[in-house]
Amino acid sequence: MTEKLLVLNDIRKNFGAIEALKGISFSIGKGEVVALLGDNGAGKSTLVKIISGGLQPTSGQMLFEGEEFEAKTPAEAKAAGIETVYQDLSLCTNVDVVANFFMGREITRKIAGIPFLDERAMEEITTKALTSAGTRIPSMRTKVEHLSGGQRQAIELNRFAHWGGKLLLLDEPFAALGVEQTRRGLDMIRHVASQGIGVVIITHIMQQAFQVADRIVVIRHGVVAGDVDRTKTSPDAVIEMITGQTLTGAGPVGKQ
Amino acid sequence: MTPRTRKSLESVLDNLVWFMLIVVLALFSALIPNYFQIGIFTNIIEASSVLGVMSIGLALVIIAGHMDLSVESVAALAAMAVGILFCSAGIGMGIKLSPQWLMIPASLLVACGIGALIGLFNGFLVVKLKMSAFIITLASFIWVRGIVLAVSGGRSAQDLDPAIRWFAIERVAGIPLSAWIAIACFVVFSVLMAKTPFGRHLVMIGGNETAAYRAGIRVTRNLIIAFVLAGAIAGLAGWLLAIRTSGATANLGVGLLFNAFAAVVIGGVSLKGGVGALPGVYAGVLLLSSINTAINLMGLPANYTQVIHGFLVLAAVLLDTFKQRLRQRLA
Ligand SMILES: Nc1ncnc2c1ncn2[C@@H]1O[C@H](COP(=O)(O)OP(=O)(O)O)[C@@H](O)[C@H]1O
Ligand SMILES: [Mg+2]
Repeated sequence: MTEKLLVLNDIRKNFGAIEALKGISFSIGKGEVVALLGDNGAGKSTLVKIISGGLQPTSGQMLFEGEEFEAKTPAEAKAAGIETVYQDLSLCTNVDVVANFFMGREITRKIAGIPFLDERAMEEITTKALTSAGTRIPSMRTKVEHLSGGQRQAIELNRFAHWGGKLLLLDEPFAALGVEQTRRGLDMIRHVASQGIGVVIITHIMQQAFQVADRIVVIRHGVVAGDVDRTKTSPDAVIEMITGQTLTGAGPVGKQ
Repeated sequence: MTPRTRKSLESVLDNLVWFMLIVVLALFSALIPNYFQIGIFTNIIEASSVLGVMSIGLALVIIAGHMDLSVESVAALAAMAVGILFCSAGIGMGIKLSPQWLMIPASLLVACGIGALIGLFNGFLVVKLKMSAFIITLASFIWVRGIVLAVSGGRSAQDLDPAIRWFAIERVAGIPLSAWIAIACFVVFSVLMAKTPFGRHLVMIGGNETAAYRAGIRVTRNLIIAFVLAGAIAGLAGWLLAIRTSGATANLGVGLLFNAFAAVVIGGVSLKGGVGALPGVYAGVLLLSSINTAINLMGLPANYTQVIHGFLVLAAVLLDTFKQRLRQRLA
């Protein structure tokens, strides 16, 4: 990848006596999709939380767009363009698609100094953004509670891209979705990445990682156990990295 | 189910209260002698002004996903304050201002100011300190009524100054100005909730507070404003109450809370938050007021009224649960 979006340098995290991360180093390029794999308890969620401001690292350094970066809160990370999309945590299902797309960023027109919602302008922009991404939603005025999991995810991802997001973090985003919806979700991730957005996706399912990722990063016991180009590895090789029998030639190994 | 049938079913659910209002009015008109006359309808609107205004504040807080049980006592305290300051008999101090009209904004300011302060107190404890809205506002319900009893010594204030009373007497289109104030409040707050970012944010907070927070909406600030508004509006309801009774007694407005609660829930506001709109609440208020008028006309003893009101609250909550189930099935 040409330009580095985020560089992680020897990130460590201790929870009391537990060393959850023991020095993680890798990087994510613009428009690159990185699949983060690893066994339960390997430290994937911890790492993603550190990037998105939910946790602070015990030591280590992050460079975001070439500058030193450490978010103290998720809001700070979000302001910088980094966001984790969690299922069910980022949409208000009791209002319609447009209201969700513009949540907290409503377009208003002032009448006598009072801001009024400009529904027509918001609907137009929402329709344009979602249809250009190939999302099929019957009406922008449908309440989100009536939409499928896949449609909800499409709203979240496109909203992120539309509002200038730069690095998208997904922690097991397809856990609740069916086969067809997962396929559409993966397409959507590629679509988001094609706009120059970096994506880190945590998944348990090897097949998904190989379908969507440019690079595969494996974490084991808090260290990078493999960092390989998707085209230069195989599911079997990755499984061996996850379980601990690193093959020769599988890629650089994180320093211990 | 096709999207269209679902949509129409849903709009029936959303506007159920209007159908109920029409059915009840038609039934009463057919069954109760003397019910169907214009005078009765203006009467219903007039009698619903205090309840209506109070229901607006309660609805705001419930839509935002919280609860305010203190509105009735707040209205009583506001009414008592206005009564003590501007009544000339009983415990009234009979304060006069000149020019006379100054007493209108002065009394309004006192009533709404008291309400807003108590609302701020509730909001701070509930939102900032994350205490249970139910318990905090239940406590306020009790201590605020206690203050009413304490400052009045159980006695009453009578003969409110005519300059303020004017609102209950002056009529436009057969409806007293005090009722027009309630209607105006419904219009203003309906627009606020449906057409402004503040209202939209309250609905979204009521639907999913975490999502609203993560989207950068200032949840704490918005919720505290909602509590302050509910208090101030309850103060306005108290002001209307003082005008209607031309004074204030220590037990003024007792029982209004449950009427307001029933009106809000029957009006389509869900107790789980995030669902409902103010026009429906007004229909709920009119529905209750119609039933009250019917009870009066039939000459039922007052004791039965209480039983009926109790069952109405019960029916309202049952209806809410039923609608939630049905919505889930539609979703
Ligand atoms: N808040 C916490 N307090 C203590 N230990 C934690 C905490 N969060 C995670 N851990 C520990 O850190 C390790 C990594 O966890 P996690 O990042 O959730 O793994 P993964 O997402 O890869 O399954 C585990 O051993 C877990 O028990
Ligand atoms: Mg995890």
